[in-house]
Amino acid sequence: MLTYITRRILFLPVVLIGVSLMIFIAMSFLSPAQLVSAYIKSPEELKNQSISELIEKYGLDEPMWKRYVGWMKNVLRGDLGYSVSANMYVTEAIAKRFPATLELAFFAAIPVVLGGIWLGTVSAKNHNQPLDHASRIFAIVGWSLPDFVFGLIILLIFYGVLGWFPPGRLSVWADNVILSGNFVQYTGMHTIDSLLNGRFDIFLDALRHLIAPTITLAYLWWAYILRITRSSMLDVLNKDYVRTARAKGLTEKLVINRHVRRNAMIPVVTVVGSMILGLLSGVVIVETVFDYKGIGLLIAKGAQRMDYTLILGTSLFYGVMLVLANLVVDILYAVLDPRVRLE
Amino acid sequence: MNAKARIALLLVLLLVGGAAAYVYLVPKGERKAEDDKTPKVTTDPKTYVHVTIGEPDTLDPAYAYDTASGEIIHQLYDSLFDYENGSLDKLIPLLAAEVPSVENGLISPDGKTIKVPIRKGVKFHNGGELTPEDVEYTIERAMISDPVGGPVWMFFEPLLGVQTMEQVIAMVGGPEDFTDINEVDPAIRRKAFDLIDAAVEVEGDYVVFHLANPYPPFLQILAKGGGWSSILDKEWMIENGDWDGQPDTWAKWFDPTKEEMTLYEKANGTGPFKLQAWDRSGGQIVLKRFDDYFRGPAQLETVFVKYIEEFNTRQLMLQSGDADSIYANNQYLDQLRGIPGVRIIEGLPQVTNTALMFNFTIPYEGNEDIVGSGKLDGKGIPSDFFADVNVRKAFAYAFDYERYLKEVANGAGKIATGVVPNTLPFSNKDGEWFTHDLEKAEQYFRQAFGGELWEKGFKLTLLYNSGNNARKTAAEILEYNIESINPKFQIDVQGMQWATYLAKMDAGSLPVFFMGWSMDFPDAHNFFDAYMRSTGALAGYCGQALIDLAKAEFDDLIAQAMQVSTEAERQAIYNELHKKAFDYAIAVPYIDPTDHRVMRDWVEGFVYCPAYSANYDFYSLSKKVD
Repeated sequence: MLTYITRRILFLPVVLIGVSLMIFIAMSFLSPAQLVSAYIKSPEELKNQSISELIEKYGLDEPMWKRYVGWMKNVLRGDLGYSVSANMYVTEAIAKRFPATLELAFFAAIPVVLGGIWLGTVSAKNHNQPLDHASRIFAIVGWSLPDFVFGLIILLIFYGVLGWFPPGRLSVWADNVILSGNFVQYTGMHTIDSLLNGRFDIFLDALRHLIAPTITLAYLWWAYILRITRSSMLDVLNKDYVRTARAKGLTEKLVINRHVRRNAMIPVVTVVGSMILGLLSGVVIVETVFDYKGIGLLIAKGAQRMDYTLILGTSLFYGVMLVLANLVVDILYAVLDPRVRLE
Repeated sequence: MNAKARIALLLVLLLVGGAAAYVYLVPKGERKAEDDKTPKVTTDPKTYVHVTIGEPDTLDPAYAYDTASGEIIHQLYDSLFDYENGSLDKLIPLLAAEVPSVENGLISPDGKTIKVPIRKGVKFHNGGELTPEDVEYTIERAMISDPVGGPVWMFFEPLLGVQTMEQVIAMVGGPEDFTDINEVDPAIRRKAFDLIDAAVEVEGDYVVFHLANPYPPFLQILAKGGGWSSILDKEWMIENGDWDGQPDTWAKWFDPTKEEMTLYEKANGTGPFKLQAWDRSGGQIVLKRFDDYFRGPAQLETVFVKYIEEFNTRQLMLQSGDADSIYANNQYLDQLRGIPGVRIIEGLPQVTNTALMFNFTIPYEGNEDIVGSGKLDGKGIPSDFFADVNVRKAFAYAFDYERYLKEVANGAGKIATGVVPNTLPFSNKDGEWFTHDLEKAEQYFRQAFGGELWEKGFKLTLLYNSGNNARKTAAEILEYNIESINPKFQIDVQGMQWATYLAKMDAGSLPVFFMGWSMDFPDAHNFFDAYMRSTGALAGYCGQALIDLAKAEFDDLIAQAMQVSTEAERQAIYNELHKKAFDYAIAVPYIDPTDHRVMRDWVEGFVYCPAYSANYDFYSLSKKVD
């Protein structure tokens, strides 16, 4: 297994060069005047500066290969460049925004995965019975709802009407504390940092701000996990060894938990892996509606402004994440199914 | 339900329970009132939360040229002068001890020397004391850095009669164009600096400005407004690695990128608030009251400026009392009316206008999608289509100004009457200007190209940058009216991605385009310069024929207006320029928009000044809470 992991990690630079080359090639179709739009947001900003001055200043008229080589040299020095849309260096932007997304993904993944698997199990166990239909309809409604609409409904109910779960990552008073200079931000994840700083009130406040986006994400993703779990469970339920287990006189609970669900989990692990990666690459709409300043919002803003420095930097970052996530999924396969051997 | 499902449910319940425990267990005093979501909307009277869009570009006054940056810089720094109660009519001293005038002898009779006495006893946030040397350093530091596209031209033009540091270098015998300042001979660089140094001097308690020519709005440039004239602490700047004030070292600080500048994300001003944090990952800026502020401490202790792009979120924050004021586009105002506790102040006059601009020399190559055949054959337009004044006038008369004001701007503004907004002195209040008149439009179309245009017709694509719905509708109004005049006239309105639109602008390919101009300083010169001067900011997008026309007809008058000594003489010259703007129909401003503010009704002390970049002067604000 160690050889397999080493080989996959060694493969990483090839993936990253491929990703960056693809983006650069795509960019070569744009003229310098199009690329300069990253630096200018509206016609009014053109006062007292010409487009050609900006092109010259940022070297946008240089040949693409020359820019790629220059960019690669900087990357090797650990400099991913300056992002005009984030108004900071790309590495800094990732370092500042990713913890927020990681925190949200972590809190969202728990109900999404556990809830989805549970719903899928319930559906499969009650195949074609009212409970099966009800759980599927419940989840599919969530899957079909536009996230923007559902997010707004949640925000309106839980913040606008009830006033329970406000948008953002913290309340003003808590922001005041963490930005006072006396609060150490170890990880950028408020739930962890608050505990490390001994501020349980801030921990609770951070949790409070996570609930509404978590509910939204959970409801939107449940159908996805439910469907895979359910079909996989139904498949396994018809296997001979399950019939044998039942024939042996095992209780239904034991059959489901020990013989069916574990074997049905392999496809679920695959989709959970990609789902978590999806959550980690940012959930743009949910982050927008709940003003949750994560990396998804950052990338969306960068793409809108054609901020290629940011797009390149975050693509590299997610290239690494993708390779590592796939590696973890492969390892989990081996854990779940002893027949799988990683070589 | 099995064990894992129970755990899942337990975790969800823990999340919800944790939040509920928070609401009920954490003492309200610790959470502070603005976090309280009980039905009664409450707020902390000492903390102000403004929620808006678009983060600042930078906090460096020498670089900042956008309103979002100006909003924050305004609170952190002071300038030499301010506007009395927000009125553009009267300047009052701020960091200056007195407003110079010819009458008090601080402005020389020829208008070229201005002495500004500097107030004593003013403290910077770090405890340093304001001196005249700080003022001299501030202006000179801005000029030697001169970031491309920044606001520093406003110092160069009055003081040295040029627009950029590159032009100063050319003035003293250096190259007219260079890519690296280090390529310029050090002796030339020294000479260039000497010119700057001589333009701003310290004489005892005074700072003396030596102007290249009289420049009536110079004091307005030095007044609180956009941020460029914010006074810095020389000693602190040097300690923090900025220019040391020496004549031979400045090249190192010339044309930096914004992130290289010392004040990009830190500040040490004399303003009523100190910068506590610019939390760029959280999209917010926190300001703390400066207790040693020379005009007395502000009533608010803490100000949060939060940047949230989604309007619905901003609205809910205002509604719940979490925000004291929010930015709301005109189109959302109806949604906010009638919300209990929310106040909307409308009709605030602005010094800005939006215009229909014409390209006098439209390129054909690569522009076929817009100009069609490139000929006057009914299937396109020729390159000189808008060089014919009749076409420009016909377009100007075809635009329905009333309808735009009513349906697009929702009545927020006034129909423009010239290139200078009506809020400024020397605007075209009594002169002739375009109105919606299809008969006149037809008359001019019939005269265009000797009658050939009327016979053959034309086909033209009007572009707007996608997402700008106001400009889309403006283009559609024009399309509807022009097509109704003659069936041979065809206009297509087409949205274009911003990047592509920008590339078209750069190539000078847009035959007609919409452009807004916001004042840099509240003076008519700023608008005549932008719209009518051959070197003005907008001329480059209107083709060589307009530049030639401007050189022949407008440039001298614009320059003369700055050199006359009386307002009557200036008025006479500006009347002539207004007439020429109308006769030549070089640009057609169609609205002088008004502004608005949306805030909770507990906010008191709001002062509006059209010259401020800042939407709010937090120093004047307080919150009245029962």
